[in-house]
Amino acid sequence: MTAAPLLDVQNLEKSYSIGRTGLFSKRSLKVLHDVSFSVAPGEVLGLVGESGSGKSTIGRAILRLIDSQSDVMRFGGQDLNSISTVQMRSLRKEMQIIFQDPYASLNPRKTIRAVLSEALDAHGLHKGAARGPRLIELVTLVGLDPSFLDRRPHEFSGGQRQRIGIARALAVEPSFIVCDEAVSALDVSIQAQILNLLADLRAKTGVSLLFISHDLSVVRYISDRVMVLYLGRVMEVGPADQVHFSPKHPYTAALVSAEPSLHRESRRIRLTGEIPSPLALPSGCIFRSRCPYAQPACAETVPPLQTAGDQHQSACLRTDIL
Amino acid sequence: MMSARNFPKRMLLPSVLLAALIIIPFSAPLITAEDPIKIAVRYRLAAPDLQHWLGRDEFGRDRLARVLHGGQVSLTVAFVATTIAFIIGTFFGLIGAYFRGPSEFITSRLSDIVLCFPPILLALLVVTLFGPGAGTLVAVLSVLYFPTFARITFSEALRVTSLDFVEASRALGTPSRRIVLGTILPNIAGPLSVQYSLTAAAAITIESGLSFLGLGVVPPAPSWGQMIRGARQFMNQDPLGIMIPCAALVLTIYAINFFCDRLRDTLDPKGASGSGMDEVSKPLALADAPAIRDPNVVAVINKLRLETTRFGTPAAVIEDVSLTLRANECTALVGESGSGKSLSSLALMGLLPGAIRQASGTLQLRRKTGEVVDLGFLDARTLENIRGNDIAMIFQEPMTSLNPIHKISDQMIEAIQAHRPMSKSDARAHAIQLLKRVGMNDAERRIDSYPDQMSGGMRQRVMIGMALTCEPRLLIADEPTTALDVTIQAEIIELLQTLRQDQGNGLSLLFITHNLGVVADIADRVAVMYSGQIVEEGPANQILRDPHHPYTRALIESMPSSHEGLHSTDGDRLPAISGTPPLPSARPSGCAFRDRCPIAMPTCAEIRPVLYPSADGERAVRCLRAPEAPAGLMKNHQTEAA
Repeated sequence: MTAAPLLDVQNLEKSYSIGRTGLFSKRSLKVLHDVSFSVAPGEVLGLVGESGSGKSTIGRAILRLIDSQSDVMRFGGQDLNSISTVQMRSLRKEMQIIFQDPYASLNPRKTIRAVLSEALDAHGLHKGAARGPRLIELVTLVGLDPSFLDRRPHEFSGGQRQRIGIARALAVEPSFIVCDEAVSALDVSIQAQILNLLADLRAKTGVSLLFISHDLSVVRYISDRVMVLYLGRVMEVGPADQVHFSPKHPYTAALVSAEPSLHRESRRIRLTGEIPSPLALPSGCIFRSRCPYAQPACAETVPPLQTAGDQHQSACLRTDIL
Repeated sequence: MMSARNFPKRMLLPSVLLAALIIIPFSAPLITAEDPIKIAVRYRLAAPDLQHWLGRDEFGRDRLARVLHGGQVSLTVAFVATTIAFIIGTFFGLIGAYFRGPSEFITSRLSDIVLCFPPILLALLVVTLFGPGAGTLVAVLSVLYFPTFARITFSEALRVTSLDFVEASRALGTPSRRIVLGTILPNIAGPLSVQYSLTAAAAITIESGLSFLGLGVVPPAPSWGQMIRGARQFMNQDPLGIMIPCAALVLTIYAINFFCDRLRDTLDPKGASGSGMDEVSKPLALADAPAIRDPNVVAVINKLRLETTRFGTPAAVIEDVSLTLRANECTALVGESGSGKSLSSLALMGLLPGAIRQASGTLQLRRKTGEVVDLGFLDARTLENIRGNDIAMIFQEPMTSLNPIHKISDQMIEAIQAHRPMSKSDARAHAIQLLKRVGMNDAERRIDSYPDQMSGGMRQRVMIGMALTCEPRLLIADEPTTALDVTIQAEIIELLQTLRQDQGNGLSLLFITHNLGVVADIADRVAVMYSGQIVEEGPANQILRDPHHPYTRALIESMPSSHEGLHSTDGDRLPAISGTPPLPSARPSGCAFRDRCPIAMPTCAEIRPVLYPSADGERAVRCLRAPEAPAGLMKNHQTEAA
């Protein structure tokens, strides 16, 4: 990546307060540790990890839907850490989100016309006579019939709702979209349609995506680069095919091997034990309690992200194993 | 929200009734010329006559005039007070829920303080301080009722605020005011409108109560409470006097409640719930299917057809579904949502939803005793005995199947004792043994934890353990790993595999899933369902490696994991199936898949394909163009047509 990144995040952290231990001391739960990454214009960055890995939290933190702390968070040259509420509101035009659950992400009381108009109204786009043609353009773009505009969400199937959610995100012509498990709730045949739609839109409009999913094959297919998270820490980041087919971190290797597959003879890497509680993380490498290759040294230092190939980094001390 | 041009019919009656009850008191001068406060002691307690339709009261005042004018006062006080309480309460509730922090504190503490006072005492206090009268009453009632509105608004708004579509509005940069008023408020209108009706009704009652005590409307001004107060002394001589204001009260409160109930149904965008869906499935006439001979066969579904009348005319949701489930074998039932895979398994459990009826076909089960029964016409008690004993089921989300307020141990012991008479300590020992069998380390200690103290994978292990309580011969697993992470999913599949291969158990596993990768991992045989029919069936490895039905092929092809060489950025696209599956009421003629099928022929619209078995009888496929289809079928038909 030679071009200036569209989004640059350094040392992102997020803690939740979970009650008090004493009169003045609060107990807090840290769900993101020192997460740094960047997204280039037109790039798709995949974010994979199991539940509790903090992948959705990252998406919402970037969109400023939740509070977080970071050393740097820049989007299109603007510093999101010092931005005013008013500036942030106009910046929202550039950053959008597509949700997982197509049944919860649309207001059941609004027609599709009202859902899409809300997006345009929020930024004063396509007012008056230009509104009608723009709405038709949007629904056509996501492969729906313009006659759907005056219907309400409950009249649509999951796949159609997801298309409406995508149309809402595209309405303001953003340069960056967070796709939070955007295809996970869909049936396989519909999932392929939506993935193709996203790939087409990206080719057509040059939008950048932060593609969050637990499905590694989906992420590999759609992303340029993939970042693997475990309990709020980055384990590995690199070009999609490399991370998938020749992972450098034992956790990624275990994830890939656990994925059910039609053709590959499964040689599953067994993980021992359960995911530790975020309240009692292991010292050193947080993956060591389940890692088949853990050594005593792993308990002592938090492994930094080290170069493991071209644009490929892995946070594992044992560079000798994979 | 609701425009005039589609004013729903069901609102008509309550609207007319409520409007009448409001309009009539306020048009009192048009109905009677009598003065409600003019005293004529000579005619006290006079019976009704042509001029005074409801007679006269203890001071000889015209009762009709009094009940009408009194209604004006009662209704005004109640509605003005409720509306003020509604506006203030909703405002505080919305602000508190949306902005949280200090505004949440103010809302909840303010409500708490007011709610601490017994309502009637608070009312008495204020009236004593400010003197009786309609104005004081309005003030008292608004203060009294706003916390209820604040509370309800707060909790409902909190729920709605956490939904994705509110987050989407925030992400769009919609101003907070528009989100709160345009998005959150309409979505909590249902419970609020019900609360409004309850409060208005209660306000009318309290107004009457206070006036009855002499603390409300000042005499001689009429109000319903005043009328009851006056008539009470003459109740024995003149019961009509007390019945008139009481009837007015009852009628008004009923009309308000009726209106708000209907309003809530109308505001729900999905329409009224649960109407006309109560048809119960009935047992069928005895079927003519042959009894299961092979002792290895645990259950046989034969030509099952399930119908629903949801779409007006009866439509088949399941059509011609046949399956043979053998001991020590795992059969996977695969399909997309709405394909009927879960319904088929619910039919086996005798747990069909009320709106769905078994129209034909048989569901035979070999019980542990060796007896073969038809599940289609057993009475409820035998079915209950079969569930758990012979057939057990595990579901997608174990948290919803486990009771969060009881320990695992209590729930397991209860389940064990329900089927086997044994002491509590024996049942506990048995439970621990079961948990060990499903791979729970440290089961002796962890059996005493609560469901939320366990991870999703562990909860699913508990569910599997509970399902194994009575050593069932058939275990139905409905998407048991869908909600789990891939590493945990792999562990659960491995566990089910071990349990099944456990020789002494002879368990038959019916595994329902949408994930073909999971099928490859676990299943011996697979049945692929599309729009209520099995379209392809056979040994899992054969079907997955070499699918013969175009739908099965398309399903496999549309999975990104089938294309390790494809990448979106190289311009590659996944071979997706266009369109969506048809509703049971709108299936195309002929083959149900033909309008999405890449290889459909004109003949496919004319012949409804059946399952054509392969030469060796191992697999079958429902497609005219499959190698198994009779060679002449398509050709003959074409010649006929020509």
